[in-house]
Amino acid sequence: MPRIHRRDFLAASAALSGLAMSGIPAFAQTPRRGGTLRVSVDQAVSKLNPLVTRVNPEYLVAELLYSSLTRLKVDMSAEPDLAESWTNSADLTEWTFVLRKGLTFHDGSPCTSADVVATFEAILDPKTASPARQNIGPVTKVAARDETTVVFTLSAPFADLPVTLAYLNAKVVPAAVIKGGLEKLDRQAIGTGPFKLVSFEPERQVVVTRNDAYYDKARPYLDKIEVLVFPDVSAEASALISGDTDLLSTTPPTEFGRLQKASGVKPLRLASGQFCNVNFGCDQKPFNDVRVRQALALTVDRAAMVDFVTEGFGSPGNDTPLNPAYRFYADLPAKKADIAKAKALLAEAGYPKGLEATLIASDRPGQRTQLAVALREMAKPAGFDIKVETMPHATYLDQVWKKGSFYVGFYNMQATADAIFSLLYTSNAAWNETRWNNVAFDKLVSEARTTVDDAKRRALYAEAQKLMYEEVPSIIPAFFDLLAGQRDWVEGYELHPRGSVYRLDFVSLGANAPKRG
Amino acid sequence: MSPAYILKRILLIGYTLLVVSLIVFAITQILPADAAVMMLGENATPDALAALRLKMGLNDPIWMQYLHWLGGVVRGDFGVSMRTGQPVAPAMIEALGRSLLLALFSIVLMLAVAIPLGIVAAVRRGRAADLGVSFLSYIGVSLPEFVTATLMVLVLADWLQWLPATGYVPLTEDPLRGLKHLVLPVLTVSMILIAHVSRMVRSELVDVLHSDYIRAARLKGLSKRQVLFKHALRNALLPTITIVALDVGYLLGGVIVVEEIFALPGIGRQLIVAIQARDLPSIQAGALIMATTYAVANFLADICYAWLDRRIQYD
Amino acid sequence: MIEILRRMLRSPQGLLGLIIVSLIVLAVIVGPWFAPYDPEKMAPLMRYKPPSSQFWLGTDQYGRDILSRLLHGARATVVLAILATALGTLVGAVVGTVSAFLGGRSDEAIMRTVDAIMSIPSLLLALLIVNLLGKSSLNALLAIALAFAPGMARVTRSVALAVRKQDYVNAAIARGESAAFIVGREMLPNVVAPIIVEMTIRVAFAVMLFATLSFLGLGAQPPASEWGLMVAEARRFMHLSAWMILWPSLAVALVAIGFNLLGDGLRDALNPRT
Repeated sequence: MPRIHRRDFLAASAALSGLAMSGIPAFAQTPRRGGTLRVSVDQAVSKLNPLVTRVNPEYLVAELLYSSLTRLKVDMSAEPDLAESWTNSADLTEWTFVLRKGLTFHDGSPCTSADVVATFEAILDPKTASPARQNIGPVTKVAARDETTVVFTLSAPFADLPVTLAYLNAKVVPAAVIKGGLEKLDRQAIGTGPFKLVSFEPERQVVVTRNDAYYDKARPYLDKIEVLVFPDVSAEASALISGDTDLLSTTPPTEFGRLQKASGVKPLRLASGQFCNVNFGCDQKPFNDVRVRQALALTVDRAAMVDFVTEGFGSPGNDTPLNPAYRFYADLPAKKADIAKAKALLAEAGYPKGLEATLIASDRPGQRTQLAVALREMAKPAGFDIKVETMPHATYLDQVWKKGSFYVGFYNMQATADAIFSLLYTSNAAWNETRWNNVAFDKLVSEARTTVDDAKRRALYAEAQKLMYEEVPSIIPAFFDLLAGQRDWVEGYELHPRGSVYRLDFVSLGANAPKRG
Repeated sequence: MSPAYILKRILLIGYTLLVVSLIVFAITQILPADAAVMMLGENATPDALAALRLKMGLNDPIWMQYLHWLGGVVRGDFGVSMRTGQPVAPAMIEALGRSLLLALFSIVLMLAVAIPLGIVAAVRRGRAADLGVSFLSYIGVSLPEFVTATLMVLVLADWLQWLPATGYVPLTEDPLRGLKHLVLPVLTVSMILIAHVSRMVRSELVDVLHSDYIRAARLKGLSKRQVLFKHALRNALLPTITIVALDVGYLLGGVIVVEEIFALPGIGRQLIVAIQARDLPSIQAGALIMATTYAVANFLADICYAWLDRRIQYD
Repeated sequence: MIEILRRMLRSPQGLLGLIIVSLIVLAVIVGPWFAPYDPEKMAPLMRYKPPSSQFWLGTDQYGRDILSRLLHGARATVVLAILATALGTLVGAVVGTVSAFLGGRSDEAIMRTVDAIMSIPSLLLALLIVNLLGKSSLNALLAIALAFAPGMARVTRSVALAVRKQDYVNAAIARGESAAFIVGREMLPNVVAPIIVEMTIRVAFAVMLFATLSFLGLGAQPPASEWGLMVAEARRFMHLSAWMILWPSLAVALVAIGFNLLGDGLRDALNPRT
């Protein structure tokens, strides 16, 4: 079992701010330079514009082509990216970021504070529809002090800003592009990232080549990266096993056993806060009644669910999105199945004869359907008659996600408790799927966000988790370990608990790697 | 084969495409999807949506929209993909090229295998070879592509590791790898074709071998081999051409599944992706291109047939 | 009728086809009663079991008994395929017979339109229709029926044209019978035999098409034990248990083989050549 690190660095990062943390890679040997890395992903890379990407393969590509002000280290702390240092006012409402000197975009134009300001203004503009808008913290104003200094003004004290500015969609794009229309970034990439775009075929492959003008002269180590799209996860695993690809970004538990057995392949596993949940539309019958939600939650045998959904590569959940991988996790008693109580609650809620509902699960990843079918069986004895409906993921995203009132969601771990709560569960959440709109919960989360004192903050988050534990805006029966794989010649790759951060500019190929054009 | 006949056939293709365009347009109009919302995303403001609807002519009556779309199609303009924001036609044509490559390899393999199998079965009618071919062909036509494909991936790619399981590499980029990636899709597609056509060749050949004309040839003292290859085969293969042309229709349906399983970015996979994402212009273009391919293949087969038929008569 | 049956039993295809199809029909009718377990009952400790005396065909990813699932799924798979074929045949037969009866320009127009529809691959047509109607077994049935109708119309028409030239049809026309009467009472019954042959073979296609739609996630929905869906689901687990994918694949193939053999046997019996 991988160890779960307690992440006690966030307060420290606020206190230490001003000291630039250097990005020294975690391995000792000097990495070999050159070579082509083939990375496989399991979905199409449809969106290239980094401000609006929304699935892991898109994040992976955006990270190669663009940079943020800060980036997330494997321990979930912030390290400098375009910003080489930052300071904050004593009350945590004003943050000053200093950019590196001489930054350039891929088209040769300089990247200055004006571009950063324009980028964040675009992000804050609802018309851009960037998920970053709700995820970078309570930013109200972004201004340039000089060529390389940017000042963020916040509506409230906020300790996590350096971490939230590393948000996946908060990538810096040229001010000129924003002015001319962001559509330009649908087909080409003008970033400051370690790699430049060579070719882009959304359904097949994305090829990038090293950016010689990257701010770090040492990195990237690779000459070229080919991101290959495999719609079939089994084929994706086969490609790694046969040595056709070098790195498998994510693989389902059903394929992981093969990676463990294959020679020349190093299976990668890391406990994480990634989870599947069952979302209730809390504003609609029958799920607006808390007793109905509690009743369904009481039917779930969580240990069996971990087996069914993760093949044992996971841990049971308690209907809150935090698990021990998060710093402010509150250790609540493990929920147990209790059919009699579930029946009683259902009767109390006015459904003595049971309840019919259609649970929608997209086909990707496969765990969604797996969860839905298992839940259907578990809930049957309590009187729930659940019909499972599956659909292609693209259709789900367009028609059900955020709109439906009973469906299976799937989420990556976020960098902070605040990030996951305000991504999914507060009334003003970017993806307020459950429409739980609980005022007390909102208050706890926003209070915690501005609280610097660690113990107080922990108490507030514990209270928030307890509320979710009791009111069940969504059922979170299991957390997943992140599973992936690499050839043994790939060096410097580490699974990131965030699940959608890859840091491939730190990766290099060993001497025994096959030569590829 | 008179020019009038050819002209009539071409007019028929036109009519076919008109009907197909109507059907496809009708279906895509009823599909539950708001084109403007799909293009701008769900966070779009009502103003922006209204403006786009006006610009795209979504407020016009349906028949106007149809004529407008048809007008574009005639000029080779299939509109802009809602998913990628790029013109649909070039992407679809490129995808069609990959599918045709798959189809071409499959047909070549099919001819190379099915005709000899059919001949052997017909010549050795009722004996072990015939029964064997017959048995195999029943299995071949009865296995859906997704089953064949899955079993082949399991055995050839996963257990034996001879071939890559899926993916596509353009032949121009790396011919050897490109071919390797094509093997499994081609095998899958040609399996049903081989089964189908070998049965056809066998039954045609059996009929021909029992005809008076062949008996007469045998009586003239020609050897069995001469009769078979000089006379019987030609007549037996003729109907096969029509079957092959009709199989193009099957082939186009089959590539949808095969391309999806093997992640081959041909027209079938483009269509599935388009259907899943409700990318209406791409669906329209893909379906229309498929129908055109089918109609043209049939047309060519007819011409071919008529031409060969005449030659044989004068032989 | 007896004579046809006797002729069929004499040909190896007919005999084998009849045996296989009878077995399948048996499974459809009484299968669920013979299923040793509840097909939806999960057993967390009994997952991915290979065939054994306890589970004859092994268990799946939820520890469900595969044999029981196949026996229960026979209904969904085979009955729906037959219904879809029957519906498609009915629509096609009516169109084809009417077209043949009308003759001339109307016939030409109808058949050209049918040809046009046939130039859309049936899988694509079915895909579009299912997307239009929403995914469910019933809609998949309608889609397949609609996709089959043009082909059946074509077959029926050619048979009907031959029938139309027969004396009894001319006699009916001479008697001044109505068009509906002639088509329904005189022509349709006489085109039935060749249509049944075509239908039998089409059932095999329908089973495959159904399975393919389910495989693409557009037909039956989990936890249904429709065979195509079982294959589609088992694909994800094929490296944990290859049996899971083998059995439903074989079942689909067996049904298709059975109906293909039966169709060929019927054809030979109805139309004895050499």
